[in-house]
Amino acid sequence: MKINDNCVGCGQCASFCKKGAIEVKGKALATDACVDCGVCVLYCPVKAIEVLA
Amino acid sequence: MKAVVIGAGLGGLLSAARLSKAGCQVDIFERLPITGGRFTNLSYKGFQLSSGAFHILPHGPAGPLAQFLNEVGADVKIVRSDIITVRVPLKKGSQDYEKGFKDIPFNDFSTLLSHKDRLKIAFLIVSTRKNRPSGSTLQTWIRSQFKDEWLVRFADAFCGWALSLKSDEVPVEEIFEIIENMYRFGGPGVPIGGCKGVIDALESVIAENGGKIHTETEVSKILVENGKAAGVLVGAEAHKANLVISNLGHAATACLCAEALSGEKDSGYLRRLETLKPSAGIKICLAADEPLVGHSGILLTPYAKRVNGINEVTQVDPRLAPPGKHLTMSHQYVAPDNVKNLESEIELGLQDLKEIFPDKKYETLLIQSYHDSWPVNRAASGMDPGNETPIPGLYVVGDGAKGKGGIEVEGVALGVAATMKKILG
Ligand SMILES: Cc1cc2nc3c(=O)[nH]c(=O)nc-3n(C[C@H](O)[C@H](O)[C@H](O)COP(=O)(O)OP(=O)(O)OC[C@H]3O[C@@H](n4cnc5c(N)ncnc54)[C@H](O)[C@@H]3O)c2cc1C
Ligand code: SF4
Ligand code: SF4
Repeated sequence: MKINDNCVGCGQCASFCKKGAIEVKGKALATDACVDCGVCVLYCPVKAIEVLA
Repeated sequence: MKAVVIGAGLGGLLSAARLSKAGCQVDIFERLPITGGRFTNLSYKGFQLSSGAFHILPHGPAGPLAQFLNEVGADVKIVRSDIITVRVPLKKGSQDYEKGFKDIPFNDFSTLLSHKDRLKIAFLIVSTRKNRPSGSTLQTWIRSQFKDEWLVRFADAFCGWALSLKSDEVPVEEIFEIIENMYRFGGPGVPIGGCKGVIDALESVIAENGGKIHTETEVSKILVENGKAAGVLVGAEAHKANLVISNLGHAATACLCAEALSGEKDSGYLRRLETLKPSAGIKICLAADEPLVGHSGILLTPYAKRVNGINEVTQVDPRLAPPGKHLTMSHQYVAPDNVKNLESEIELGLQDLKEIFPDKKYETLLIQSYHDSWPVNRAASGMDPGNETPIPGLYVVGDGAKGKGGIEVEGVALGVAATMKKILG
C-alpha cells in the first residue's frame, strides 16, 4: 500500500492495523511488518491510503 | 417525514436521534466502517485513545450536549472534573519550567498580577457581564486593558486547549460568550466509556426509534429538485428524502451539490465559505504507571513552548487504560504556517512534556495530528456560518456549524438543537 499527501497524521489507521505496521509522526509510514492486507485503507478518514495493484 | 443524514459524526448522530424520536424515518450514511467521526474511541495497545476529542465534554454533566443527550433519552454517565490547574514557574520572571514550577487553581490566575491589575480584573469581571467588549480579538482587548504578558500567555493556553486557536484569532465576543457559558453550565466533565460512551448511547436511541445507520456507505451527491433538497445519491442509487442533514461542514457539503449552488444568488454564500479556516492541532498520548497530572481536570501549561494543556482521563474512568496504567494526553495548537512543519512542531511538544514532567516515567503511545479536511475544528470558533444553506431542506450540523459560545462538542450540540427547532418547531 501507499500513503499519499492527503494524510494528516491522525493515527486512525495505526489503531486498526493488526500487524502494528504503521508509525505516525505528522504523517503515517508503513514499516516492513506490513503484509498489504488492505484493512487500514477502509479506516482512513481522508482517503490517504491506496492499495497498490 | 423522510430524512437522510450524511455522516455519523457526533452532529449527525445527535440529529438522527432527535429526528427519529420525533417520528421521522431516518437513514444515516457513513463512509467509514466506524461511527462517531472525530468523537469515538480507538483501541491501541490496550488503551482507549480517541479519533479526535480528549474524552472531554467542555461543560460536563450540565452543558448543552449533556442536556441534549438527556432530552433524547441517551443514557450516558458524565463525571464533572475536580479542578483546572495552571502550571507556572516557581520563580517570578522565569519564562519556562526549567528551574521548577508550581500549580495554581484556574480561578487564582489573577494572583500573579500586580495589586492594581488585580483590582482592575475584579472590576472587569463584574462590569463586562453587563457591557460585553466587542469588535476586536481577545488579545487586542487584553493588551488594551493591561500591560501584563502573563495574561496573554494564560489566554493563549486557554484558547489553544479549548479552541485550538491563539488569543489573537478569537473574537473577544466569542470568549465572553464562553465565559458566560462557564457561569451557566460549569466546567468540564468526562463521559464514562470515553467518547464512545456517548456514541453508543446515541446509536441505541436511533435503533430503538427505527433509524438505520449504513456504514461503509459514501454519499456522492446531494439531490436537489425544484430548488429543494430531495435526497442523496449513494453509488448509482438515489435515496429520496424531504430533509437532508449534512455532518460534513459547509464547504464539503457545497461540493456535493455544486451544480445547484452555481447561480448568482449563491455566490455570496460560496465566498463566505472560502473564508472559513479549519483549526489544526497535535495530540500526544502518553502511558504511565503513576499519575502524571494527578487529578481529573485539566492542567494548563502556559509556559510550555507548544503544549497548551494536558488531561488524564483514567482519573475518572480507569477502564480507558489497562489495569494499573494511566492515559494522559496533551494538546497543542498548530499555527497555519506551521502545518507544513508538523514533525518539528511534534518535537517541540515532546520536549515540552519532558520539562513539564521532569521526574516522571512515561511512554509515548501515539502522536496524532489534525488539520485541513480532518481538523480539530472545521470552523474556527466565532466564525461559524450557521446551520442553514441556500437550499431549503438542506442543513449543516457539526463543528463546521456550531452555536454561539459553544466550545467544540457543546457548540455542535447547540447547533443541532437550533437546527431541530427550525425543522420540528
Ligand atoms: C485532536 C482533537 C481534540 C479534540 N478535543 C475535544 C475535546 O476534548 N472536547 C470536545 O468537546 N471536542 C474536542 N474536539 C472536537 C470534536 O472532536 C469535534 O468537534 C467533533 O467530533 C466534530 O463532530 P462533527 O459532528 O463535526 O462530525 P465529524 O466527526 O466530522 O464526522 C463527520 C462524519 O462524516 C463522515 N463522512 C464524510 N464524508 C462523507 C460522505 N461523503 N458520505 C458519508 N459520510 C461521510 C466522516 O467519515 C465522519 O464520520 C477535538 C478534536 C480533535 C481533532
Ligand atoms: S495493509 Fe494491512 S498490514 Fe499493512 S499497514 Fe495496512 S492494515 Fe497494516
Ligand atoms: S488514517 Fe489516513 S490520515 Fe490518518 S494517519 Fe492513517 S493514512 Fe494518515
